[in-house]
Amino acid sequence: MADVKKHDTPMCDELKTGNWPSFVDDLEQRGLAGKQECLDLLGQLELSYKHKETHWKHGGIVGVFGYGGGVIGRYSDVPDKYPSIAHFHTVRLNQTSSKFYSSAYLRKLCEIWDYRGSGMTNFHGSTGDIILLGTKSNQLEPIFYDVTHQLGTDLGGSGSNLRTPAGCIGKSRCEYACIDSEAICYDLTQTFQDELHRPAFPYKFKFKVSGCPNDCVAAIARSDCSIIGTWKDDIRIDQSAVQAYVNGELKPNAGAHSDRDWGKFDIQKEVIDLCPTKCMWMEGKDLKIDNRECTRCMHCINIMPVALRPGVNTGATILLGAKAPILDGAQLSSLAIPFIRMEPPYDEFKDFVGKIWDWWMEEGKNRERFGELMQRQSLQKLIKMAELTPIPQMIKEPRSNPYVFWSAEEVEGGWERDVKAFRSRHAA
Amino acid sequence: MAVDKEELKAKILEFATKKAKFKSKMYIKDLYAAEPNASPREIKNAANDLVKEEKLEFFSSGSTTMYGVPGFGKGIEEAFEDDKSE
Repeated sequence: MADVKKHDTPMCDELKTGNWPSFVDDLEQRGLAGKQECLDLLGQLELSYKHKETHWKHGGIVGVFGYGGGVIGRYSDVPDKYPSIAHFHTVRLNQTSSKFYSSAYLRKLCEIWDYRGSGMTNFHGSTGDIILLGTKSNQLEPIFYDVTHQLGTDLGGSGSNLRTPAGCIGKSRCEYACIDSEAICYDLTQTFQDELHRPAFPYKFKFKVSGCPNDCVAAIARSDCSIIGTWKDDIRIDQSAVQAYVNGELKPNAGAHSDRDWGKFDIQKEVIDLCPTKCMWMEGKDLKIDNRECTRCMHCINIMPVALRPGVNTGATILLGAKAPILDGAQLSSLAIPFIRMEPPYDEFKDFVGKIWDWWMEEGKNRERFGELMQRQSLQKLIKMAELTPIPQMIKEPRSNPYVFWSAEEVEGGWERDVKAFRSRHAA
Repeated sequence: MAVDKEELKAKILEFATKKAKFKSKMYIKDLYAAEPNASPREIKNAANDLVKEEKLEFFSSGSTTMYGVPGFGKGIEEAFEDDKSE
């Protein structure tokens, strides 16, 4: 056994007795193989369980020279007890688009991290970055040098920066992809390097790119600006394949959920009746779709992927303002642009982003997410600031209250009134 | 209105140094008050330049980034103090 000191951790050890693999096992194994940091981390965790309070103090350094993000400073407040984790900073690395790695890349990364850090990683953090857990301040610059020079990998975003953009697997493997989510993710990362590495905003800002409305990266729930692929024209139908599904020659859901017998495929019950806008029906042996009513829920396409495919006139829907529940509860993003072409160099989209950022930088309060600003100042204000033309597709349903909020410039004479002249006609 | 960058940097530094005596860490929005005629983007670029010149420093909780003046409050130098464990 390596020359390491294991702490007495009865409460942590109890976590190993459950049905699922425990992080305690992983930490202990790595620790006993020579990483004192892993054992000290468990020791401090045990102390936190005992005291029912954290023993991390956080805040401080934020990056390497010239960077204002990518490193999250963490310090133990009991460094005398657990000296190897006195500094235990997190390093965020910008993941590759769609998280494709070669084994050589991962091996090299682990070598670097084993040498310069705790050896502990998190693949991946919620935002999508590669998370390297625990290193000392004096290792930060060498780590940055190594990952940039040996791996061609940059730091990710943290703090009040643009966070590392993330996208789905896109056209590289998915036939549903209406936009090249990987190319868009990469382009945004390159275009907004300054915002990614140097704090510019009142708080964090996230882009996420999904190739189709299935939204595999959950952009609609997790990003301030969600870019979701969609199509404008009709769903493509192969009627012979529809019949193949009906006759049981093709497996619905591409064979997924087949761990139990669901009975014979019933197109009426499993597809047509479940269409949220009821825009599908059978005419004899033909499946018909009223595409004007389709909301792109993807259900029918997911069930019968050989028979139905997204249209070919493709672009993206842009939604804004999703966030986790720190203030006012969790929020899904709201529709801003129903359809936008997403072809390089994405100028129309970037122009739009510039406008909403200008508004947020000017009007956003400290630590106010973009969605909270939208909520506070109204969607009407968003449309004005983003210079969007309102169209019916932006709203879910017609308004149900009678108030109309006019702005001064929409009313003849604005809001200014001559009170004296008014009083000459009307007694107080 | 475009503002001369060097002038803006001087104003931000003066503002931040005065403020740092009472509040050692400032949000970027606090720095907007240093020059009301400058746009938020100009302030951000100037403040980040000052960090490069080591006249200001970043402080981050991980979720939010703030600006500080070296020498006031808990600063970067504390974080980089010699590692006691070595």
